[in-house]
Amino acid sequence: MARVIVVTSGKGGVGKTTTSASISSGLALRGFKTAVIDFDVGLRNLDLIMGCERRVVYDLINVVNGEANLHQALIKDKHCENLFVLPASQTRDKDALTEEGVEKVLKELEHMGFDYVVCDSPAGIERGAVMALTFADEAIIVTNPEVSSVRDSDRILGILQSKSRRAIEGREAVKEHLLVTRYAPKRVEDGEMLSYKDVQELLRIPLIGVIPESDDVLQASNQGTPAIHLKDSDVATAYLDVVARFLDEDRPLRFVAYEKPGLLKRLFGGK
Amino acid sequence: MADASLQGKLIEFKGASLAVMTASIRDTDAVRLADALHMMLGGMPDFFAGEPAILDFAQLGNAPERVDWTALLSLLRRYQLQPVGVRNLAEHLHDGARRANLAVLGPDSPAAERPVAPPPAPAPAPAPVAETPAPAPAATAEPAPAPTLVVDRPLRSGQQVYAKGGDLVLLAGMSPGSEIIADGSIHCYGPLRGRALAGARGDTSARIFSTNFGPELVSIAGVYRTFDRGIPQAVAGRGAQVRLTGSDNLHTLEITPLQHD
Repeated sequence: MARVIVVTSGKGGVGKTTTSASISSGLALRGFKTAVIDFDVGLRNLDLIMGCERRVVYDLINVVNGEANLHQALIKDKHCENLFVLPASQTRDKDALTEEGVEKVLKELEHMGFDYVVCDSPAGIERGAVMALTFADEAIIVTNPEVSSVRDSDRILGILQSKSRRAIEGREAVKEHLLVTRYAPKRVEDGEMLSYKDVQELLRIPLIGVIPESDDVLQASNQGTPAIHLKDSDVATAYLDVVARFLDEDRPLRFVAYEKPGLLKRLFGGK
Repeated sequence: MADASLQGKLIEFKGASLAVMTASIRDTDAVRLADALHMMLGGMPDFFAGEPAILDFAQLGNAPERVDWTALLSLLRRYQLQPVGVRNLAEHLHDGARRANLAVLGPDSPAAERPVAPPPAPAPAPAPVAETPAPAPAATAEPAPAPTLVVDRPLRSGQQVYAKGGDLVLLAGMSPGSEIIADGSIHCYGPLRGRALAGARGDTSARIFSTNFGPELVSIAGVYRTFDRGIPQAVAGRGAQVRLTGSDNLHTLEITPLQHD
């Protein structure tokens, strides 16, 4: 059975695509055959983050419309053996997505022996976002530690509970995971930012990880390399932990406590 | 979902429950009724402003041999009331009512019950009785008590729950931006953070209970309060109840801490 994971948030700019790229890469690194689908039709980004934008020939909408088959549209990732990217169409809009079409694509991926399908949701609560979560088995709710992001995450959780297939058919509910991103322990310490505990208390779903705010993320996306591949960076370590927890391994939370920089560090730089 | 198929649909049928007025009629004589209405409404011709109404004959003593529907209807229409159906009418008068283009509804108003959406609602109460300026105080049979509606999962921003005719119990709290409405009382185990409206049909004895008080708005029977300046210290984040005190037109909302161990 292919497990369908939706990465969603309601709000834009919180790190959905970064997270989709890193988590799908992380699962592939663990040996699982993984596909990552960009549902942001009309505003596609995932291909850039994955560094495969120049290899896009066919896209999700072509497959939905039967103009290309999945084998033609799936792009093999350049970093991981088991990872394939299905890009969104840039020239269409989200109305081109149909429930039947998406279901067909997911069924076919299952036939092709995929273990995980990661759906990168667009922002908002409209068609694209609903299509991305309709067939989800698990959901990673990406939230920044600020009130508007928390509110939007809450909203999308409600939609997940009412519009996902699992909810409509009365099956076991979609498994929800909270991922707090762009976390700055110092700002939390200074009282400028919600703590991850605050966020979790407001949303009341299990925490799967905290990703620290870092300039490395911008650098990684400019290079077209998913952040999880940045050797020895906090962000990569945090994402590897998230993947491990997703696979039911026990990992303590890291990068959540603020450590005062020592004298040497203050004198000789470092951030 | 497909938009194309929607365009092809020129007619669509949906269940809906709508509030209509019942006019409880105790005399079918148009002349006597006209006098009574004139006394009651002072001859204001547009009093009902086109409101639909069900004519209820439950309190009509002995059913007359026949009813002059034309006269009766034109009288009611003079006050801009729109009779749409009859109920509790003696069998032998059904034909006449149908000829007058009135729907004949069963005593328990199955016609009103059928279109009600999925949650099995017990016989919907016949319109807000208290507000009905009907020719006579309509005292139809009390509706059976509705079962309590229990919500097990957290209520999320944008979600809305309505406990029609009864109480509402939330077992996992509610988020800001969500809304709960109950005709009876509201019991919330967990954070109460959205808008909570109890006694939605005017029950002033309804209350709101919460183990973690912090709503955006509370209302009981239409008397509401927002918390612009924050939740009062004594109840913020604690167990609290909201109820109406005072009487008749001088209701005030009272929020007090709950004593529990």
